[in-house]
Amino acid sequence: MIQVIIDGKTCAAEEGEILLAVARRNGIDIPSFCYEEALAPYGACRMCLVEVVKGGREGITTSCTLQVTEGLDVLTESPEIIRLRKALLELYLAQAPRSESIRALAARYGVTRTRFTKKTVRDDPLQNRCILCGLCVRVCRDVMGVGAINYIGRGQFTEINTPFFEENETCQGCGACAEVCPTGAIAIEDIAPNRIMKSWSGTKVPLKTCQSCGRYFAPSPFVDNTLEKLDTALKAALQDLCPDCKRKEMTRQAILLSTGTPLPMK
Amino acid sequence: MEPQRLEEIIGRYPTPTGKILGILEHIQREMGYLPKDVLKLLAKRLELPLSELYSIATFYSFFTLEALGRHVVTVCMGTACHVKGAPELVASLKHHLGVEMDETTRDGKFLLTTDDGEYTLTSARCFGACSMAPVLRVDNKIFGYVTPERIPSILKQFGWEGNHH
Ligand code: SF4
Ligand code: FES
Ligand code: FES
Repeated sequence: MIQVIIDGKTCAAEEGEILLAVARRNGIDIPSFCYEEALAPYGACRMCLVEVVKGGREGITTSCTLQVTEGLDVLTESPEIIRLRKALLELYLAQAPRSESIRALAARYGVTRTRFTKKTVRDDPLQNRCILCGLCVRVCRDVMGVGAINYIGRGQFTEINTPFFEENETCQGCGACAEVCPTGAIAIEDIAPNRIMKSWSGTKVPLKTCQSCGRYFAPSPFVDNTLEKLDTALKAALQDLCPDCKRKEMTRQAILLSTGTPLPMK
Repeated sequence: MEPQRLEEIIGRYPTPTGKILGILEHIQREMGYLPKDVLKLLAKRLELPLSELYSIATFYSFFTLEALGRHVVTVCMGTACHVKGAPELVASLKHHLGVEMDETTRDGKFLLTTDDGEYTLTSARCFGACSMAPVLRVDNKIFGYVTPERIPSILKQFGWEGNHH
């Protein structure tokens, strides 16, 4: 364990931990758009800038890529940091004029308008909300192991979508992308019997029906791929049940188990 | 491109570093563009998401995803050229080559190929020759101070023999 100082507060940390994570654990909220604990540091959005006062390379740096060392002393809201953050938020207001979360954060810093030209794309699949933070791309590829989407093009025309803007056959419809998106840009709709990934070129993924109650509950390929990773007994017990029926089944088994009855699979 | 040929190309790149770019460049050189089915095959073969290859292919201006004509006419649409009359050049080229442009690609560019596959008309940003604006390029040859009246004589240097339709 080492000690670091964040906004004057002494915090315990493991050597090499990411500063942003240490700060959050200690109740210090550094804004961020592109950081996700489960993913490798990326440093794309610049929202998490902090000022290193002592220890390490002094100056302004991104806290989501900064590994802590003994004696590190940083400020997360120094006048310079606030100035930069406001400028960034103005840029983000122009890039993603329809995003509520950007507007909310900007308002928190007193930024309510932008000097830059607002980017509005007609029929934008990402609803004029995408800031190209790359979280969706990385979670899909690095956590789900799929890689259905990626950056397309470059410069001011960069966008995120499926290759060739075609329905994607590798997409499992898990929705992890929408889950991590900081701006609510990704639209998904369940229209039985499919899940429609509206932002991803209308990719359709079949939904699975619960074997017990018959409800549609989750995308088939996602359920199947997840089940594949479980051991056989659990897999047999949980296969094709919606969360409600799954819970009932688990309880039933727990009761059977505690009363010493051998475990019959339903 | 035959799968066999793709295998040969892949086989030339033993190291993973720079492999993808090298292979894509190879395909582009050989075919003049990156055909969709070849990209799909390559993704399978390298066990990479297709999205990764598509991302690379759309990032570098060296790559094209569509077949190009035998001659490529590129009109500079940079600020200086635009002001000096690039749109008039495009209109004239469209007329002489007999291609219609009602569609621009998502990034505002266009790529039009004549029916006989001889010429492709496209645009680019500043060539870095603003002092000669408006500028256009046919294959590797740059032309400066171009006027719509000069278009036919320029095209003739590349085998054009009057309106194609
Ligand atoms: S869609 Fe959301 S998660 Fe994906 S790059 Fe845009 S802002 Fe980030
Ligand atoms: S969260 Fe650090 S740069 Fe995006
Ligand atoms: S704008 Fe055309 S060469 Fe610079």
